[in-house]
Amino acid sequence: MTWRGQKIVDLSREFLDTNGASQSAQIHVCAAHSPFTEAKHVASKSLVEILSDLSTCSRKGLGAMFDASVGAGTVLWPFGGKNQNTAPDAMVAKLPLLEGDTDACTFMAWGFDPFISEKSPFHGAIHAVTESVCKVVAAGGRLKDIRLTFQEYFPKLGNDPKRWGMPFSALLGAYHAQQSLRLAAIGGKDSMSGSFNDLDVPPTLVSFALAPGHASLALSPEFKKPGSEISLIQIPFDDEGLPNFEILKSTAEAIHSLNQEGHFLSLHHIGESGIAAALAKMSFGNDIGAQVDASCDMFAAASFSFLVEHTASSSSAIKGAIPTLITLGHTTETQTLAINGSNYPIATLKDAWQGTLEPVYPTSPSTGLDNTTADLPDFKSTTARRTNSKSIIPKIIIPAFPGTNSEYDSAKSFREAGGDAQILVFRNLGAQHISESIDALAAKIRESQILMFPGGFSAGDEPDGSAKFIATIIRNPKVADAIMDLIHNRDGLILGICNGFQALIKTGLVPYGEIRTPSPESPTLVHNTIGRHISQYVHTRVTSNQSPWLALNAPGDIHTVPVSHGEGRFYADTDVIKQLAASGQIATQYCDANGKPSLDNAFNPNGSAFAIEGITSPCGRVFGKMAHSERAGTRVAKNIPGNKHQPIFEAGIRYFQ
Amino acid sequence: MHRVFVEKFTPHDIETRHLLADLKESLTLPGLESLRIIQRYEVDGISKDKFDEAAQLILSEPQVDRISPTLEIGANEQAFAIEYLPGQFDQRADSAAQCIQILTGGTRPNVSSSKVIVLRGKISQTEFDAIRSFAINPVDSHEVPLINSSERKSPVAPNDVTILSGFNKSDPAQLRNDLGLAMSAADVAFTQAYFRDQEKRDPSITEIRVLDTYWSDHCRHTTFLSEITNVVFDDENSPVHRAWNAYLETRKKLGRDSKPISLMDIALMGMRELRASGELDNLEESDEVNAASIVVPVTIKQSATSEPTSEEWLVMFKNETHNHPTEIEPFGGAATCLGGCIRDPLSGRSYVYQAMRVTGAGNPLVPFSETLPGKLPQRKICRTAAHGYSSYGNQIGLATGEVAEVYHPGYVAKRLEIGAVVAAAPRSQVFRGKPATGDAILLIGGRTGRDGVGGATGSSKEHTDTALENSAEVQKGDAPTERKIQRLFRNPVLTRKIKVCNDFGAGGVSVAIGEIAPSLLINLDAVPKNTMASTALSSPSPNRKNAWPCASTLAISRISSKKQTAKTSNARMSQMSQTTAALS
Repeated sequence: MTWRGQKIVDLSREFLDTNGASQSAQIHVCAAHSPFTEAKHVASKSLVEILSDLSTCSRKGLGAMFDASVGAGTVLWPFGGKNQNTAPDAMVAKLPLLEGDTDACTFMAWGFDPFISEKSPFHGAIHAVTESVCKVVAAGGRLKDIRLTFQEYFPKLGNDPKRWGMPFSALLGAYHAQQSLRLAAIGGKDSMSGSFNDLDVPPTLVSFALAPGHASLALSPEFKKPGSEISLIQIPFDDEGLPNFEILKSTAEAIHSLNQEGHFLSLHHIGESGIAAALAKMSFGNDIGAQVDASCDMFAAASFSFLVEHTASSSSAIKGAIPTLITLGHTTETQTLAINGSNYPIATLKDAWQGTLEPVYPTSPSTGLDNTTADLPDFKSTTARRTNSKSIIPKIIIPAFPGTNSEYDSAKSFREAGGDAQILVFRNLGAQHISESIDALAAKIRESQILMFPGGFSAGDEPDGSAKFIATIIRNPKVADAIMDLIHNRDGLILGICNGFQALIKTGLVPYGEIRTPSPESPTLVHNTIGRHISQYVHTRVTSNQSPWLALNAPGDIHTVPVSHGEGRFYADTDVIKQLAASGQIATQYCDANGKPSLDNAFNPNGSAFAIEGITSPCGRVFGKMAHSERAGTRVAKNIPGNKHQPIFEAGIRYFQ
Repeated sequence: MHRVFVEKFTPHDIETRHLLADLKESLTLPGLESLRIIQRYEVDGISKDKFDEAAQLILSEPQVDRISPTLEIGANEQAFAIEYLPGQFDQRADSAAQCIQILTGGTRPNVSSSKVIVLRGKISQTEFDAIRSFAINPVDSHEVPLINSSERKSPVAPNDVTILSGFNKSDPAQLRNDLGLAMSAADVAFTQAYFRDQEKRDPSITEIRVLDTYWSDHCRHTTFLSEITNVVFDDENSPVHRAWNAYLETRKKLGRDSKPISLMDIALMGMRELRASGELDNLEESDEVNAASIVVPVTIKQSATSEPTSEEWLVMFKNETHNHPTEIEPFGGAATCLGGCIRDPLSGRSYVYQAMRVTGAGNPLVPFSETLPGKLPQRKICRTAAHGYSSYGNQIGLATGEVAEVYHPGYVAKRLEIGAVVAAAPRSQVFRGKPATGDAILLIGGRTGRDGVGGATGSSKEHTDTALENSAEVQKGDAPTERKIQRLFRNPVLTRKIKVCNDFGAGGVSVAIGEIAPSLLINLDAVPKNTMASTALSSPSPNRKNAWPCASTLAISRISSKKQTAKTSNARMSQMSQTTAALS
């Protein structure tokens, strides 16, 4: 290694590769009882206590901070059902194709319980591996296709043989599980620094199970319909508290075959919180209740057991393949769980389950909205809209700025709708690159019919506000002239989604149709009322179909589309909004499942005035919207009901045909 | 130098309201009535006219901000200002500089950003100090004067690298202590013997820093590779003893009897056994160890009407932790956990498309008053880390499919912060080659800064309640830059030319480049540095107790943080947005 022309490092490879002085360790494995058999005897908590316990309670306020829709490949949304409340057992995503469609996907799940592992790291590791495998199986992956990777995290070991016994036992537990399941860990990482003064982390071995598979087979746990049967699949344990791996393997294979034959409506790995809590979580997604009468303990831990929702007509097929199947009861229309004669209203259980972490990870803002209504008059356009020039395959230019992240999904949506979409990477390494990129962007706009600003976080939403980077580029005279030429002289179209919408509104392209210096009265997009990023599905309704982008829709049409943003709250004076509505520029609004515009945080999660999701320029040819219409596709978000295809890309292409 | 103060007005002052609620909840402040957060920008290198235009169009928005050239503080108000430590990546200042450059069409101006916090009400000095220490995390930030902050010293050129004369004859334990090394005294003695007997010279300080990094537990799994010489069981009739015997039997069966027994060997035995039996038939095997990699057949339909075609793809997956950095600087630590995790399969030339986050914490509902000395409150760690990880994933455009957090009192010792990712690429786009003499080694990605220096060694040391002060510095993530590498690595014209690729982790140049090929020539002057990096060269981190001028800190840095190790046929370096590649 040289620096300033001098050799400052000159080491032999042989010496480097010794990894230092050789070190040795001694191991002492302490006696431990099986935590599984012990745990069976301590269930004395009520269902409300179980659901509100930190180990079981809802993590929705945490999860909703994370974009789960970018890439348009998420097969199981992290919170499923019409209420977006029931978490799947595994995350499932389609492989990321730049072109074309595939059913190929991956399933990934994790397993670990610190309270088992602290009692016996050996059993803890077996539990972690087996749980991760069971969760993949429950979500529709095939057991024999699973590959594992582990994360170990242990206290500093020093020279204490008993401390060394912890990772030693855990790795032997993991080995035992791998050998029994005939599955291997092909990756792993260790961190051996989990100590602070005399405090130690619990012995931690987290197992991650990954299986390639088919998105069409992905299963989610929320109850799908009233009147279906609920059954229990259990895996027995031996005297030492270890699961019977042979039965687990054959059961998993049977589950896979039955799933291929379409016998399951829902499937869920139960886990440590027990059957009753699992039933509750399955009910939260769609507010479908259950009536269950059975002799098994509904409140005890039920690791490596599964709950199945299936139609009565599938009962015999499932029983034939899994003889130990126990019929527990059926789903109901009433919003209660009836468990062995006790009735629990779903709403009460949900409150208990959601309330615990609300102070840490809120799901709704602390203050409400000022407005009292979100209703605006519909605006229906009846004239056919297409350009006057002759039919062509329009060219779409999609600039990718530093921080743009939706250019692939956007380009794919336009291509699949029949357009000729091209991504232009805006380079910012030095002044020269910026200047060249501005020239290139202006030139591309002049040869395209459609300009699309995709979503993302241009320049990281900095300095202290979204889309300032893009807005600054739009204001550049060369780019500005090309844009004005596109909409004033060439009858072109402009679309901005999310970050793109922010750029359009901050430059005045919506709602004014021209580039302006903003004034204090200009409509804008500000921080969500909840004060954090939101990622969820929303319903939006078409309020005005004046825009060519909405020519394939009529006012009142409802679409279910993901949002993912930190600054999506539409903000403007009521007077300004009423004027926009009167001229048909309020294109889309957040609404409830019935299409009513809503100020309720569950439906209008960023707190937009009059629930406004998208607006247009006066002529309608510039359209900005927050929700990611491009993040749709076959088998995307299978566990979210609704019409997820919003035909704005087709409409944009048709304008030129 | 131009200066502007920008303040969000009601109802857009969300950050202000959150901080006020946090303060009221965390500290006892009966006299605190309200507070204001004012963003201060200082810009050098443009005209007054252009600055005014930038202040209007870039640094503020009239619908939500009020701006002022001066800081107005009322009679019943007290204020302090916070800024990132020199050399920390400041995305706000960096983006502002880029936007202003686009506006002016000239060179990129120098921009610094700081945050002024104004407290209104009756607040004692003790309360004021408590609020300051709540708001300022010394790991990445410090307090700066409210005015006259323009006196930023321009970096001084660092000294040449020092030769440690007398190193080979000094007491190993004393050297370890004096140099603040993570390696053991036995390693120091081993190193002394090497320089005395083989090199027959004194080492440079850089050589010692390189070795300390290369051999850290973080990079080399010292613990996992220690030879296990003796095993005692309390209960020989237990399932764990039977599993031990099964492991020994498999070793024999696989002809590995003579190999040392270690935790690593146990960890890998499952894979070795199933590979030998043929049950692990879809593993992609190569000399590279970026991530776990399997071969998957994929059926693709180009359009709804076209005939499906079949292709082989590689699916890669990877998990890693950033426990130590997240514990001390939750935002940056968690953000770079994901950043580092992404870079492993990315360096394997695959596209990361889904992430999972599994974390472990103490109860986040306990009152702040129960926080241990030398620790951040659990709730603050949980929330800030979630913000950090999510902001990185949201920015880079990675779908997070599951976010889980387990709670156990033991994680008060140190947080568990795991990122796991899944990636894929057509197999035809991934070429695996062998480095040969004369190959070029390219460094691709963000510029090297001071943050993260000593990440690998810092996280491998013992931690006590002074951890917050003397810890390794934590890097700030730069998602937009890593996104560029992702885009670049989706281009098969490039990926097919890469023989070997390693991503930069806590080990920096020392490890990431050091592992690329058996024999290398590295020109450190060629490493692109950010503006403050040379400060790192000249002034050893103030947190370091020794004062060796160490050029190695820069060399082995590039943003970093943590990274544990490779333990199977996969896994390796990670961190920030740099990647090294040997090109044919």
